[in-house]
Amino acid sequence: MSPEELGQVQAEALGRVKGAAGAADLLGIERDYLEKGGVVAKILASIPSLAPEQRRELGSGANRLKQAIQKAIEEREGELAAEELERERKAQGFDPTLPSAQPRRGSLHPVTQVTRELEDIFASMGYAILDGPEVELDYYNFEALNIPKDHPAREMYDTFWCDRNNHLLLRTHTSPVQIRALERFDPPFRAIVPGRCFRNETVDASHEHTFHQMEGLVVGKGITVGHLIGTMKTFLREMFQRDLEVRLRPGYFPFVEPGFELDVRCPFCEGGCSVCKRTTWIELCPCGMVHPFVLRYGGVDPEQYTGFAFGLGLSRLVMLRFQIDDIRHLMGGDLRFLEQFGC
Amino acid sequence: MLISYRWLGRHVDLEGTTPQEVAEALTIHTAEVEGLEPFAPWLADVVVGHVLECDRHPDADKLSVCSVDVGGAGDGNPLQIVCGAPNIAQGQHVAVARVGTVLPGDFKIKKSKIRGVESRGMICSVRELELGEDHSGIWVLPDGVQIGKPVADEADLRDWVIEIDNKSLTHRPDLWGHRGIAGEIAAIQGRSLKPLDLTLPATEAGEAYPVRVESEACTRYIGLPIDGVRNGPSPVWMRNLLLAVGQRPLDLLVDLSNFVMFDLGQPNHLFDRRRLSAEGIVVRQAADGETMTTLDDVQRSFTCEDMLITSGGEAVAVAGVMGGEGSKVGDETGELLLEAASFLATPVRRTAARLGLRTDASARFEKSLDPTLPEKAAAHMVHLLRELQPDIRLPRPAGDAGSWKDPACEVQLRCERVRSVLGAPVEDEFIRTTLTRLGFGVSGEGTLTVQVPSNRATKDVGIEEDLIEEVGRVYGYGNIEERSLESVLTPAPHDARRNLVRALQDRLSGAAAFHEVMTHSFQSEELVSAIGLRDEPYVEVVNPVVESEFRVRRSVLPSLIGLLELNRRNRDEVRLYEIGKGYRIDEPNERGEPRELHQLALAWIRPRSGSERFGESGIQLMRGVVEDLFDHADRVFVGWEPGAREAAPPWAHPGKWLTAGPTEEPHAVVGELEPGLAVRLGLRGELDGEITLAEISLDGMLSQPEAQKTYRSIPRFPGVKVDVALAVPESLFAEEAAAAIERAGKGLVEGLELFDLYRGESVGAGRKSLAYHVLLQSPTKTLTDKEVSKFFSRLEKETESLGGELRRE
Ligand SMILES: [Zn+2]
Repeated sequence: MSPEELGQVQAEALGRVKGAAGAADLLGIERDYLEKGGVVAKILASIPSLAPEQRRELGSGANRLKQAIQKAIEEREGELAAEELERERKAQGFDPTLPSAQPRRGSLHPVTQVTRELEDIFASMGYAILDGPEVELDYYNFEALNIPKDHPAREMYDTFWCDRNNHLLLRTHTSPVQIRALERFDPPFRAIVPGRCFRNETVDASHEHTFHQMEGLVVGKGITVGHLIGTMKTFLREMFQRDLEVRLRPGYFPFVEPGFELDVRCPFCEGGCSVCKRTTWIELCPCGMVHPFVLRYGGVDPEQYTGFAFGLGLSRLVMLRFQIDDIRHLMGGDLRFLEQFGC
Repeated sequence: MLISYRWLGRHVDLEGTTPQEVAEALTIHTAEVEGLEPFAPWLADVVVGHVLECDRHPDADKLSVCSVDVGGAGDGNPLQIVCGAPNIAQGQHVAVARVGTVLPGDFKIKKSKIRGVESRGMICSVRELELGEDHSGIWVLPDGVQIGKPVADEADLRDWVIEIDNKSLTHRPDLWGHRGIAGEIAAIQGRSLKPLDLTLPATEAGEAYPVRVESEACTRYIGLPIDGVRNGPSPVWMRNLLLAVGQRPLDLLVDLSNFVMFDLGQPNHLFDRRRLSAEGIVVRQAADGETMTTLDDVQRSFTCEDMLITSGGEAVAVAGVMGGEGSKVGDETGELLLEAASFLATPVRRTAARLGLRTDASARFEKSLDPTLPEKAAAHMVHLLRELQPDIRLPRPAGDAGSWKDPACEVQLRCERVRSVLGAPVEDEFIRTTLTRLGFGVSGEGTLTVQVPSNRATKDVGIEEDLIEEVGRVYGYGNIEERSLESVLTPAPHDARRNLVRALQDRLSGAAAFHEVMTHSFQSEELVSAIGLRDEPYVEVVNPVVESEFRVRRSVLPSLIGLLELNRRNRDEVRLYEIGKGYRIDEPNERGEPRELHQLALAWIRPRSGSERFGESGIQLMRGVVEDLFDHADRVFVGWEPGAREAAPPWAHPGKWLTAGPTEEPHAVVGELEPGLAVRLGLRGELDGEITLAEISLDGMLSQPEAQKTYRSIPRFPGVKVDVALAVPESLFAEEAAAAIERAGKGLVEGLELFDLYRGESVGAGRKSLAYHVLLQSPTKTLTDKEVSKFFSRLEKETESLGGELRRE
């Protein structure tokens, strides 16, 4: 075989490689040229019948042919792989507007969510988180809080009574835990008490007989009204992530003296909205300096220690936070409500 | 309580301040102002008209067609107005609502035609302007008013009404009248109170009017006879002030009595003395069943707990609540007995509550009024009456009985203590001036001796802290600088239960995809009856809001059962849980507190799959959730026991329930909903589903030891995974099959997982096939084929001994 003829074979083979459309074509070319019984093998087989000088020439020519074809095939394989990737990239039929598939999820009750938030804020300021019974003794709910029998202030608390002797009741506030805490801990201490409370009220969109409160109690040496203001401001800053103006005004609760109502500047408006009833102030919580009688009931000497207490309306904060317009949803147990607060 | 701004002006000079400033000052320093509104604002739009002509309507006998001059308030021409009042007449000055004016009740005056005659406005009656009840005719204004000017000015009715939250006055009996509020404003704004003569003028000589007090609940009773009185209309200034605070003027005597109450806060009563017995007044407890008709014309029946004012044996008034119809003053009354008394708060409150008769008087007595106030109120009344009728007589001294004591007291106040409680640099001098302005007597230096006047001493001020409040509120809490608490470096006490609750919530609301609910602590009659828990002992509320909801729950789970139907109606799959408390009245502690249980309840509704395939039954899934919770909370789980049929809780299917932990107080119970209960709850048919419930005791969980998670080394030698199936009799529990595999493995079974439960022809009737993935592994060597085949031959024998057959896969 002449060098020209070899050249022709090579050109023909490379042409086929170039035109190969896929792996199968390339395999065919390999089979036809490079494998047993292929073109290259046949050329090599013809060598022994040639003259010695022709043998060397044709031997090396056949080897070059083999290498050239192999190289071409490898290159073509690379090209084809790249084309395949490019095709994959160019694939059509993707609809970016198809809806997302939702993972199944549960939810934490909104009251739990806000309670946790407050617990975390106060816990980070060194407050213990306490619990107390919902079915409570008159002694803790009223008497030891400086609201003796026949005190007119009892009328402010529409109480659910649990016996005819007015001994047992459903707690009307979380404040009884103030006395329980004073009995249990030696000052100084600080504590919060989240929990459910009860008032005998007909239920409608803005009234519930069962609601959530969070009591706060700080007792120590030299605790002042200034500390109460500072604490509430800090807590509000953490809760709303900005500074909010607060004001204290006189409020009457027999277990504090002096007693206050704490208002916070409405975070939802400038100049009045429906949340603040157009006053720009939101009544946030009753609070005050712990009444010396209450300290004494709890076994603490009011000459040595003073303290402050506050009662945050958790249900109210939850409604403010999530803009819930009907308080009945909170205790209603309806999935259509709960699902909106997914975790 | 309503306060009239003009009324305040009778007691304190309001020069230089405004109703807005006064309301703000009261809110910040005294009590919560709930509203500030102009009095009857429509009166600024209603103008004085002069009736120029008044002719009969051509087509209606009872209507008049008037030409009314409204001066500058019109376009210069008189208005033609059709009027139906019988008392309309030419020359009158009347109140005219012009076209466009809006009257109470959102009543907008429009141009109209009445029986064919055009009418451009309305001539108003007193009732249409909400100034009284009279609707018999139009309101005729006195002469001298200016035509075209607002009626508000011409009838002297411009005022502001301040509404104060009653609750914030609970502890301030001294603020239930205008003089008290005026005193606050004087102290806050640094003004002085106008003097008021409150000494009783001398009476004619003679024996005091006979008054006897037999009830302890009456601490003081003054009965003062007044003669030569002429009843009639009260003066306009008094009527207008009463209107502003929402009172309906009636006649001089009634208005005067009211005026004194709203002025000084002391309720009082005027009797027509001719209708009383000459024996005078006896204050005593009622006899059971004694009756009297009160001023509101209702016959009332009393018990021995009610206190009555009597005369000649007959009841003439309910003490502190309301007078009697029989002895009331009228047009003819000329001889009065003025009652001004002190009654104890609690008996008055009880009687008022029992009669359902909360009056302005009882509301005040309930606050514990100053017992020195009656004589001041009596004096005030006499002075006011004498100004109007100088010739009245006080024919004999007042009867004054009762065991009252002046409550005025002395309290020591350390100025240093004021500063240390408020946390503000309040100066001694400020403390002294403030208390003086508020009516306290002050002497001493550093530690002040403070005389608390009787009107502050009944209930409000008795200890040092009370005085600190007085100083603080006038100082202004807004002027106190905020301070930070010093940081505490010891961690708050560890609370295992709270941590557990958080862990459970996180797991359930997270990975387990349950929704947390909160439900009422009350369980309704309907619910507990349906479940069969009606006769359990409950904490019972005596005064429920809804009659059938008086039981306080013993357990949380029934509350969740009560939510199943609602939620199944809206969703095919429902996963709910609640963490809450149950109360056991039958297990009280020594103080009578019911035992408190902390519980987690779970409910899971799933659509029925049709075939009962392995791994998908509700109970299995729920068991898995419960075990996972124990694991997540690092508590050792003791393992399930099949529940006995006869011991099933009423909510559970008696053949499909399991329990874990002690029999009396299990740590956990799971079960399918009792089928009959499903029917009763309407959870069959359209709302059918597979419903699984669980109840976990948090106390039980906490009683379990903490599960220590410790590292185990990763196996060094490969294991061999084989699948085996055991065809066994239906009656054999899966647990026994698993035990057989363990035995056959001789300690080499590292993993065992049931992956199929099959019943069918190929297994044979009365038999089932349990298929397991088994991992055989040794910690010390690679297992040989021989060891594996030995396992199989041992297992074959074990299976046969169970009456089954091993099928290798
Ligand atoms: Zn607002």
